Order: sequence, then structure tokens, then C-alpha cells
Amino acid sequence: MDQFKNSFQEEAREILVELESALLALNETPGDMELVGRVFRALHTIKGSGAMFGFDELAAFTHKLENAFDEVRNGRLTITPELIDLTLAAMDQIRAMLEEGNGAPAADAEACAQILAKVKQLVGIASGQQTDETDATHPDPQAARSGQEREWHIRFSPGPEMMRNGASPLLLLRELGQLGGLAVKASMEAVPPLGEIDPERCYVSWEMVLATAADQDAIRDVFIFVEDTCELTIEPASTPVENAAQASRATQSASTDAVDVAAKALEEKRTSTGGRRTYDKPDNATSLRVPAVKLDQYVDLVGELVTVQAHLSELATRHDDPEVTAVSEEIERLTSLLRDNSMNIRMLPIRGTFEKFRRLVHDLARELDKDVELTIEGAETELDKTVVDQLSEPLMHLIRNSMDHGIESAAVRAERGKRPAAEIHLSARHEGGSVLIAVADDGGGIDKEAVLSRAIERGLITAGAHLSESEIFGLLFQPGFSTAKQVTDISGRGVGMDVVRKSIENLRGTVDVTSKPGDGTTVTLRLPLTLAIIDGLLVSVADAYFVLPVGSVLECIELTRQDIERANGKHLVDVRGELIPYIRLREQFNIHAQLPEIEQIMIVETGTGRYGFVVDQVLGDHQTVIKNLGRFYRHVQEVSGATILGNGRVALILDVERLAKDAVRAGTQAMQGHLAADALKPRGQKKKFATQSVV
Amino acid sequence: MPITLEQSEDISVLRLEGAIDIASAAELKKLFIQAFASGHDVRVEMDGATDLDVTAVQLLWAARREAKVSGVEFALTGEVPEAVTSALRQAGFTKLAATMDGSLVSGVASCHQ
Repeated sequence: MDQFKNSFQEEAREILVELESALLALNETPGDMELVGRVFRALHTIKGSGAMFGFDELAAFTHKLENAFDEVRNGRLTITPELIDLTLAAMDQIRAMLEEGNGAPAADAEACAQILAKVKQLVGIASGQQTDETDATHPDPQAARSGQEREWHIRFSPGPEMMRNGASPLLLLRELGQLGGLAVKASMEAVPPLGEIDPERCYVSWEMVLATAADQDAIRDVFIFVEDTCELTIEPASTPVENAAQASRATQSASTDAVDVAAKALEEKRTSTGGRRTYDKPDNATSLRVPAVKLDQYVDLVGELVTVQAHLSELATRHDDPEVTAVSEEIERLTSLLRDNSMNIRMLPIRGTFEKFRRLVHDLARELDKDVELTIEGAETELDKTVVDQLSEPLMHLIRNSMDHGIESAAVRAERGKRPAAEIHLSARHEGGSVLIAVADDGGGIDKEAVLSRAIERGLITAGAHLSESEIFGLLFQPGFSTAKQVTDISGRGVGMDVVRKSIENLRGTVDVTSKPGDGTTVTLRLPLTLAIIDGLLVSVADAYFVLPVGSVLECIELTRQDIERANGKHLVDVRGELIPYIRLREQFNIHAQLPEIEQIMIVETGTGRYGFVVDQVLGDHQTVIKNLGRFYRHVQEVSGATILGNGRVALILDVERLAKDAVRAGTQAMQGHLAADALKPRGQKKKFATQSVV
Repeated sequence: MPITLEQSEDISVLRLEGAIDIASAAELKKLFIQAFASGHDVRVEMDGATDLDVTAVQLLWAARREAKVSGVEFALTGEVPEAVTSALRQAGFTKLAATMDGSLVSGVASCHQ
């Protein structure tokens, strides 16, 4: 049953997202009855399926909310910001109930009771009478019968997958029974012989007559969770056939024939109206829900295949047999298609992450008493799942920052002649192999002077230092940096931007800030499309292999013994007049082997300027499947991962940004200690990698 | 185990315990097939069953039919909670519910038809 619970939880999480966006949209256009319908259906589904899967508390709670929206649907209650806020708060409690047992904080029973009391009050005021005293989880069928009662013919046949999805037809029938007088005939016709029976499939179908005041939508709502996996017809009984009581008596002595006759009669009717739903519609199978773990395994396996294929290509080249070469090339082609395909499967649109922030903006705007609109562009842009998953937090920090510090208060905006409603614009778009995600606000912009004076105050720069605009904005990402005069609950503690930069760098991305005083600030995140495979440049130092991300390598030049002598022992090289510092991987990783006559410098563009990396040999392009180094090597910062080469050897993937930064820091420290000569020499602790052990 | 099968010289007895639902459906089917394979009469003891879902009802139905085809006696015995029978009645399984009703189960209620 656990797997069903899990799939319910997953489904419910999605429904909650949908509910949230519907509620927020409703806040904008309170009169939109379609949105009210969406909210109602979402609540109804959560309630119905929650009860089915044993989330009784959740179902009971949701039911009471649903009642309120039923009142709205019936025009007896109007949407107010208060109701929206209550429902949003209730949603958080529903989410907590849903995640109970997953280590999440439990729902707050007191808060739940308060929410319900307030909802009840709202409903009470609107209807101008006492709210009904009956237990709302088991509505009295009489209560629903205030309108004109009529009879409905319902035929319900569960599809092959319905029970496996965790739905229980018997519970649905019970729920249906709560709408009014229900007479049920079960048909066992389709049950195959014992030997052929699929024990987890429901073969039984039901013919029912329901006498109720509820309308067709309300009846259909009972089946809302299973609609796609069953065949369902709901028709008003055109001729007053047997009344419910008679039908009920008839079932007591019903022969299969009677059911047959009724079934045939209904069959004819159905074909003539053509209004039925079938579970075997082809479009139901167009998408699958697959656990992310399985997907990761798949990508891992493709990665292994790429590695083995590289080995095969190498063997084929060595043996020089045309037949083997042909097969090897074909496998190479297929592997490459498979690799692209597997990467593609992991791509998710960023919409879910973006939409989540509507709620954040709504809540913060209220809290800060600012009028802020969130606009979204390019939500369909796809990114690797891992990237999408890790983007929420940095984006949240950026939005909080914009709302709190960027956007001015209403009074200041009025003074500056700006639109009263401020705007935060979230956008995503492709650019080459990267995706650019931007958070833009039309607030006051960054006060460069304030940043500078704060940086001087904190000793980050010396007074009078000349910094470019991007260097000034770069200061914002220093740990603990904040220009906010006040620390608010929302931001200003100066942890946010630092976290943003770190998480984006972990994703091998970069952060860029542009700001115009008075006009607003835009923070742009540049992220790689995928994290699992990169285009790398394979290099070697003695018998050790390294991979540098090809995107960051600008050029490759030779480093001769004379060049080294000319620099007087400084690790600097003259490239067309520009002095570029370099790092010798040989020294960095403590590799003792004979020095080749000519070494190679890979010139790499890093966040801290251009840097050279000295290697023995450049071996060429390499499709690099990134493997984690494992927990044992997690403290190793200079290496972002490893990959397995065609010959079975391990190559370490260098984190060039990190290496350059460390070198700069080491250099600065050395300068301060008047040890300029040792500036770029390797630091105290050496890490020697036995490449074979990193698997 | 919610379901056990005891086979003696002339009868196979299946004992149902607790909730007999989709989780135990495959097991129930297997044991029914095993029971019928012996060619003996089959008795299902329902005393301990606290819940029956559609999959269980289908298997009982198919087993009854199987018994008819192979000419062996098939019987449901034991008292099941009223909640179970009323749920079955509500779902339109009136005959099955009647078979299991308290009034009929003092001895062996055959549902051979």
C-alpha cells in the first residue's frame, strides 16, 4: 500500500501547486468562476483520494475548506482576500499533513482549528445563518437534497490499471451513496476463470441508480481521481424507471439477466449519445511518471556505456580491422544518440520552480506592505533536473532581496514618479550551451557608494581603491555582506547573496549583476544545460590524466624551458604582451616525474581573470561523463569530479575556478608576508592522487 | 500471513485473516489454484476476515465457478463482521453478502448454485 501512498503524495503535491496558482490568480480576479471551479476540484481531489489512502485527518480538514468553496460556487459566498489567505494558510497545513512521516514538521493542530473556525465564520456570515451542525466529513444526504431531487443512471467500469493505482471502487460507491439514495447492481460477467484472472485488476462493473438533488458535476466529482482510468457514464434517467427503493429490492433477487438487460439498454443509449469516457484513450499513455532514482540509474548506465564505447573505439583503432571498425563506429553513433536522448529525458521545464514564487511574492508583498507583481517569461525553458532542483533556494534569496531592498516603499515610489505596482520579472532563455535565468526588479537599484563604504568598513577593500562596476557588485557576494541598514525577517543578514553564489557555482554556473540607480537591478544566472556530461579537454601530466571543461579554455600555448628562465622563477607567462599567471598541475598535485622539454599551457578564463594551467600534453576533446568522487574525497575542492577513460584509467575533472581562486588567495597572503617569491608555489598540504583508487 | 491453506485427505481449507485486499490478491489466487489442483472440496473460513475488497470478491466468485466446473463442493464458513457484509451489499454484491450473513453461517453455507 505504501507505493500507492507515495503516488498519492506525489499527485497531491502537484495538485497543491495547481491549487496555489489558482488561489493566487483568484486573488487577482475574484469573480472568475472557472478559477473557483479549479480550486474546488483541487480540494475535492485531495480530500477524496486522501481519504482513500488513509490520510483521514487531511481529508477531514480539506473537506471543510471544500465546503466553503462549494458555497462560493453556489454564489452564497464571495471571494475575499481573507478567504484566499486562509486557504493559502490551510494549504500549508495540508502540505504538512501530507509530508508527515517524511521527517517534515507536523501540521499545527491549533492553527488548523483556527483556520477552520475563521472559514466557518466567513461561511456563516455569508449565509447569514448558523453553519450546519452535522459533521462535515459525513454530510447528511438530506442536506444535499434541498434542491429538486432526480434520478441518475450511472455506469461505472474500472479500467485495468485503476486498482493498481490504489483506487478502491468500493470506497467510491460509498462516497456516491452519501449523495443520496443509491441502488447498485454489480456485474460479474467480465470476471474470467480462476486460472486466467489478473488478481490485481477489477473486472466488476456497476450499474447504479442514484436519487439525489446533486447535479451531474457533483456526481462526476466523486470519480474525479479515477476518471482517466475508468469508463463512466452519468445520465439523467429520462423515463422514470424503477425508483431507488424498487431498484434496491430488485437487486436483492437480481438475476444476471436483469443486469444484462439493463446493461444492454444503457449500452444502446451510450452509443447514441456518444458522451462516454473511456480509459483506453491513446493519449492517456503519452506520459509516464518515473521515479527520479530510476532516471539517475539510467543516466548512470548510459554513462558506463559511453565509457565502454570509448574503450571499444580505442581497441578498434589499435586492431585496424575494417569490420571491427565498422561495428565500433556504429556503436559510437548509437551511443551518442542514446546519450543525447538520456540527457533529454532529464530535462524539465522550469515552470514549476517559477510558479512557486508567485506565492512567495504574494506573501512577502503583504508582509512588507508593498504592491508587487510577478511576471514570468520563458517558463517552458528546459534544464537538467538536478539544476532545476537546486535552483529554488538561490532564486528565493534573489527574490527576497529584490522585494526587501530593491523595491521601494509605496511612498518612495510615488515620490519618484514610478508606477505604484512594482514588478519582479523572472525569465529564462537559452544561450548557446547555457541557460540564462534572470531576476529583474524595477526598484531603486544598487547604491554603489553604500556598497563601497560598507566594503571599506568591513576591510574588504582599502579606501580609495578603484573598482569597476562589476567588481563593486561582486562585493555583494562576499560572505556576510549586506548594505541593509536594518536586518529584517526577510533579508539583510547578508547570508543570502553568498549562498546564491555558492549554489550557482556548485552547479558550474556564474552570477552576473547589472543595476541602474533608480531603475532597478537584474541578477542573471548562467547555468549549464546539463551536469551529467560535459565537453572536456583531456590533458596529461606524466601518467596522470586531467579534464578541463572545454568551454572555459581559450587557447593552448607552449611553455619552453627558456620561457621559464626568462620569468625569473615567477609563474607568469607573456601572451601577446599580457602577463598571465599560471599553475603547474605537476606541483599542485605533487607529481614527481621527468619534465618534458616543452610543456603546454592551457589558458583558461576564470572569474578571477585569465589563468594558465601547465600540463605535459594535450590529448584532445573528451566527452566527459562526470562521476562523483564519493564521500571519501569530498574535502577535495580542486577537483569537481572524475571520469573513466576508454583505457579504463581515471581522469580527474579540474575545478579551474577554484584552483585560480586558491592561487590568488595564496598569492595575496604570500605578498602580505613579504614572501612574494613563493607567491604561486604550491600550498602546504599536498594531495597526491593515486588515480586507480578513485572509482 | 493473512491467508493460509491447509490440505487434508479430502478437503482443502483456506483461512482468511484480516484485510483481504489487493495486497494479498495474488497470494489468494495462488492458494485457490493450489487448492483446486488437489481435486478435493474447498472450504473458505472467513472468521478472521475484517475487510474484503473487489479483488477478493472476484476471486471468491471465480473460485465458486471453478468448483462448479470441476464438480467439487465449495463453501464459505464462519461469521464475518457486519461491516464487511454491509459494505458488500452496498457495492451490489448482495448474493455474496447473503451467503456470508450471520443467519446462514451457523454451519456450512454452500454457495453452490
